[in-house]
Order: sequence, then structure tokens, then C-alpha cells
Amino acid sequence: MPLNDADLVARVLVDDDHHAFAELVRNHQSPVRGLLRQLTRNDFALADDLAQETFLRAYKHIRSFRGEAKFSTWLYRIAYNCFREDARKRKELVGIDETQLEAEQAPATVDPALRLDLMRALQLLPLHERSAILLCCQNGLSHDEAARVLDIPLGTVKTNVLRGREKLKKMLTGWEPA
Amino acid sequence: MDEQPQQDWLDARLREGASYIDDAGFTAQVIQKLPAAHRPRSLRGVILLSITILASIITYVASDGGRFLIRVATQLASMPILFVCLAAVCCALVMTAIGAGAALSNIRENG
Repeated sequence: MPLNDADLVARVLVDDDHHAFAELVRNHQSPVRGLLRQLTRNDFALADDLAQETFLRAYKHIRSFRGEAKFSTWLYRIAYNCFREDARKRKELVGIDETQLEAEQAPATVDPALRLDLMRALQLLPLHERSAILLCCQNGLSHDEAARVLDIPLGTVKTNVLRGREKLKKMLTGWEPA
Repeated sequence: MDEQPQQDWLDARLREGASYIDDAGFTAQVIQKLPAAHRPRSLRGVILLSITILASIITYVASDGGRFLIRVATQLASMPILFVCLAAVCCALVMTAIGAGAALSNIRENG
């Protein structure tokens, strides 16, 4: 029977079990790497470096995981912090402004594939809205969990999700079902 | 168009957009970078106990069957009671300081 996250974490804590930690990495690598790819605007190499750093930090600080939140939520928080620290280093932690958004909107609508359009539209959102949308709508976190990951008030998360959704809807106007 | 179905449609497309990313050696790379595993606590316990037993045997043999204990006990009995009490308090203080140091270091280690 496959072990759940809590059992695997316990094995890492008690026996420093690398196999158990490998299982945790295998189980969570896809959503963590996916989130980081979106946050880094599809810079796959950077996203994977940050994902590696995320898991190494998770291993180092696994004793601070108290089990109050889901393990995935805890990982997303570390991943988001890694991304922010890197962005701060690169001085890129600035949301895209509206003019840039309009300028980049044109090529996105030319592409016929909805998925591609959606991903492009996502990347045009300012970071705070993109992060909230990715966590809540794509990765299925509750507003409360997303607030913990992003370390911002619950009301701000709700506002960011709402605004992000509105912008996405506008950008994907032609794709909506009748 | 209604707000809710529109929102559901968008959320569904977003979830579809998050396709599974194949591991492709990612996990192996992470595990390779982990620091070397510590010895399990149970193994550490066995090592500590074995060393203690071995040290006790060596001490017993080297001290002529533990006769020194009887000698020390006799000496202590002949000492003034105040001196024995002071020695006991000093021992207790030293042990408390060592215990507190170990506890603090453990707290620091576990964050």
C-alpha cells in the first residue's frame, strides 16, 4: 500500500530516510515545477533550478512542517519564497503594467490553440494575480491556503483571484462557450 | 452568459492547462544533492549503550573488581556531613548545567 505524505514525512524525520523523501519529491514534483514554470513565465531551466532548491529547503527544514497544513501547501509556500528571492535578486519582482499587457495581448489572440492562449494570457497577468489564480484555480488550493502560501491577507487573495479571472475572461473573450 | 458557468469553464481550462510534468530524472538530481543521511537514532542508541557497557567492564576489571568504590564510600562516610552536602550540591549544579546546555543545543538544532 502506498504511504501517504504524513507517513513519508515521519520516516524522513525519524530515520532520515532518503527513499521516503524521494517518494515525496516524485509525488509533488509535477505541480511544484508546473507552478514555478508559470511564475517564471515558462523559463523551464530556471523553474527546475528553483524546484530543486524548493525540495532541498523542504528537506533541510522538514522539522518545521507541523502537519497543520497539507504538505503540498507547505511546499508551494517554499517554492513561492524561492521564486520571490530569486526574482528579488534579478530585480524582476514587478508586475506587468497595463500598457505592457495590451501590447502583448495581440500576438496571443492570433494563436488558434486555446491552451496556448490561456497560458499566454496567464503570463500577462501581474504576478500577484497570476500567483493567486495559479494556486486557487489551477492547483485547487482554498483561498485560505493560498493566503498562507503567499503570506498575504485572505481578502487580498480573493480580490486578486477575482481581478485575475476578470482579466483572463477579457483576454479569452472569443473562446468562451456560447 | 451567467457568471458561475463562465467561472467554472475558466477554472476547468486552467486545470487542463496544468498537464503532468514527467519526472525525467528530476527526483534523482534532488536526492543526489541531499546531505549524507544521519545514522538512524536506533543505531546511535545501540552504539552508545555498547560503549557504556564496554567502558563499565574495563573500569571494573582495571579497578580490581570495583574495590575503589568501597574505599570511596568509606572515605565519604568519614567526611564531615557539611562537606558531603556541599559536594552533592556542586554535582547537582554541574549536571543541571550540562542538561540545560544539551537541551538548548537540541532546540537550536530542531529550529
